[in-house]
Amino acid sequence: MLGKLLKHELRATGRIMLPIYGATVILAILANLSIRLLDHEVGNLVRIFAVLIITVFAIAIIAAAIMTLVLMVKRFYSNYLRDEGYLMHTLPVDVHGLVWSKMIVSCIWFAGTFTVIALILALTGLFLTGTSLNEVFTAFPSWKEIIAAMHKEGIGGGDVALFIAEMITGVLLAGLTTCLHFYAAMALGHMFSKDKILLSIVFFVAISIVMNIAVTGYGAARLESFDHPLGSIEELRGLVNFVHGIIAEGLFIEIVRAAVMYAATVIGLKRGLNLA
Amino acid sequence: MAILECKALSKRFGGIQALDNVDLTVEPGRVVGLLGPNGSGKTTMIKLANGLLTPSSGEILVDGKKPGKDTKAIVSYLPDKEYLPEWMTAKQMMDFFEDFYSDFRREKAMEMLARLGVSADMRIKQMSKGTREKVQLILVMSREARLYLLDEPIGGVDPATRDYILETIIRNYNPEAAVIISTHLIADVEQVLDDVIFINNGRVTLQSSVDDIRGEQGRSVDQYFREVFKC
Repeated sequence: MLGKLLKHELRATGRIMLPIYGATVILAILANLSIRLLDHEVGNLVRIFAVLIITVFAIAIIAAAIMTLVLMVKRFYSNYLRDEGYLMHTLPVDVHGLVWSKMIVSCIWFAGTFTVIALILALTGLFLTGTSLNEVFTAFPSWKEIIAAMHKEGIGGGDVALFIAEMITGVLLAGLTTCLHFYAAMALGHMFSKDKILLSIVFFVAISIVMNIAVTGYGAARLESFDHPLGSIEELRGLVNFVHGIIAEGLFIEIVRAAVMYAATVIGLKRGLNLA
Repeated sequence: MAILECKALSKRFGGIQALDNVDLTVEPGRVVGLLGPNGSGKTTMIKLANGLLTPSSGEILVDGKKPGKDTKAIVSYLPDKEYLPEWMTAKQMMDFFEDFYSDFRREKAMEMLARLGVSADMRIKQMSKGTREKVQLILVMSREARLYLLDEPIGGVDPATRDYILETIIRNYNPEAAVIISTHLIADVEQVLDDVIFINNGRVTLQSSVDDIRGEQGRSVDQYFREVFKC
């Protein structure tokens, strides 16, 4: 059933996000041409028009990022906590499927927006500076050179793979916890009969404060019990192991944060659902 | 075995007792009127049967199970809200129902939509309020469910639409299923009911067959309801 939920969620959100991506790409092309145009002798009207297009492009980039976040919140709110909830919560699916389908699709759009914006900005940079992709690749050392240099310092391919895995896990967890923070606040706020939106905001702030206190407290406690102060790390190997340890601990904290907010979301939807 | 059973079922919202120690059973193959004035607890009971609320105490069972994934597969529910996503077309809604409910009969829905003169490509937001309500009903009644829970299906509609809705319910429900129609408009539904449940202030005050009320009381259910719930 999760597959079916994902299919319908992608259909519902794709009709909004894909045109946004399309419009952003078109504006990027127009903005690039406008920037080029400003290098030439043109009339004032054309200059104003070109500046206007560049401004709209800049706004579109920001709007695409904001829209991705707004859509994530709005889909959960309108689909699960408003009248459409009567349809969604009476489907023969469990609450975990409902939450995961929203989280996965939101993360897909987070990744999509990031990719579109990054590609547009990178290509704009290359276009404006007249740099070819070949020049970019030759400007940096090759992977072989990097890996050979790392090997020399005792860092193997396993470390590189682990760093990449840690980075991907971290980015995924960041996406999930961002969604869950909003979902948990809304699900808890809507357990009440009145002032649901106000209470959702209160829960959002409360979750932020509690999580910050918990993470800061944990960090402070760990610093005190540090048995491997930075000053003693002389070898690169030791530093790498130390960084792996720090990242693993950071990921663990993020998983705990996500699990707590996931549980709050599920409890809110399962035990406290109170559709108006 | 009863398709719906409530055992000492209670639901509280803060200081308000919406349902108070309700015991009742509904057998398959019956069309049951859940009758009571506004705010009597009808919608709360239907929401509990759908798993949209959780009981404060007691239990509610659908086909012997607590409301959940399994019971939702056999319950066809019409809420007293417009709950279809406005951006979707009637065809997309049928795709949706077909995907999630194995008992959804697409041909039946297509036939009813055609009879209503609604194009499958029409978006929900392009439809009038009355048409939206009819499309919701068509989707719900195109399922071969074991329990139909219809919350105020004829509330706030004109007499012609009322006839259409009741006819659609009676012509399309699975005869082996139970149909529960919640309403306070007794005169309009009385003709299609087998049994009635009177509910007031969260308590079930009567559960009886329509024939028994007519035989024992010598009057229609509507007349009896007016007397019982006289202000």
